[in-house]
Amino acid sequence: MRMIEQEQENDDSTEVTWEDQQQINLFSKLNTRMKAFEAKIDEAKQEKEALDDLSTELELTDEDETVLYKVGETFLHMPLPRATKRLEKDQTDLDAKLAQLTDSSTQCETEMKKLKVALYAKFGTAINLDE
Amino acid sequence: MSTGSVLSEERGARGIPKAPFIEDVEKYLGGADAEVEGPLKKIQDAIAKYRYMDANLSQRRLGLEEKIPDIKKTLSMVEYLHERREGKSSQSEDDLEDDLEDEDESSSSKPLKTTFELNETLFAEAELEDSDTVYLWLGANVMLSYKLPAAIELLRSKLGGAETNVATLTEDLEFLREQLTMMEVNMARVYNWDVKRRRERRLEEEKTSKDTSEKEGG
Repeated sequence: MRMIEQEQENDDSTEVTWEDQQQINLFSKLNTRMKAFEAKIDEAKQEKEALDDLSTELELTDEDETVLYKVGETFLHMPLPRATKRLEKDQTDLDAKLAQLTDSSTQCETEMKKLKVALYAKFGTAINLDE
Repeated sequence: MSTGSVLSEERGARGIPKAPFIEDVEKYLGGADAEVEGPLKKIQDAIAKYRYMDANLSQRRLGLEEKIPDIKKTLSMVEYLHERREGKSSQSEDDLEDDLEDEDESSSSKPLKTTFELNETLFAEAELEDSDTVYLWLGANVMLSYKLPAAIELLRSKLGGAETNVATLTEDLEFLREQLTMMEVNMARVYNWDVKRRRERRLEEEKTSKDTSEKEGG
């Protein structure tokens, strides 16, 4: 992210106060945090997709068949009901994690929007708050 | 203008120096005629230092973040073993368990069958005898045997420790980012102040030369 003030463009250059500086800092911090959240959300979504696929797959399997379920690095041979139960648990865990991540990232986003409004109002084109 | 580093003596958590905030650029540089080359260079040096610290800490965090999934994998395996054992010894805890009971009766009397990775792309099958002990790799070529609950406890505390470490590192990185942003703003302000001063001087010169030429003409 770059935040170069092109004061040469507008003559009545606005002075940066300590409050402004703190807002700029906060924005920069949130921006970094946001990127981390996005990466984690992507990851969790991929995992969720895999689990959803698995759940459809397991529904098609015969009741008394043994399936291979991956725990850690190893595949365990387990009966279908047990695997289904495990999968359900994994899914709820993941859903909770995803919900929490989305929550935090939305929170970040709203705060960033507020800061953007405040900072653009003061500095106009002299500040650039995009990626 | 101090002769040393522009970074203030003040330090944040874990000894990261705080970046100074420039209240008034002119005062900071030491007057309307102060030169900017030196201070600009110092600010750039400070930015480079912060960037270096940033890269360093990011690297460390990456290393830790890679460790966490490993711990989680081991933990989930040990937890599974534990659950399996518990499930066999204790009778069903709730209704949900009920329909699994029959399966359990038949399956846990048999050894646990697994398919594990022997080498890349090569898998082998192994049967695990029911056991209350696991061996955890502690590093430094040492493996220690643990009872299942103790192993779970150890792994959980390791996981917790790693997660706190990542959290502290993230905090540090965010602090660093703030300081870096501050220095970047400082640099822009000093630079812009200089540009503005130069333009004002040029205008001044133009004006005086115009004045003199007018005088000469008149």
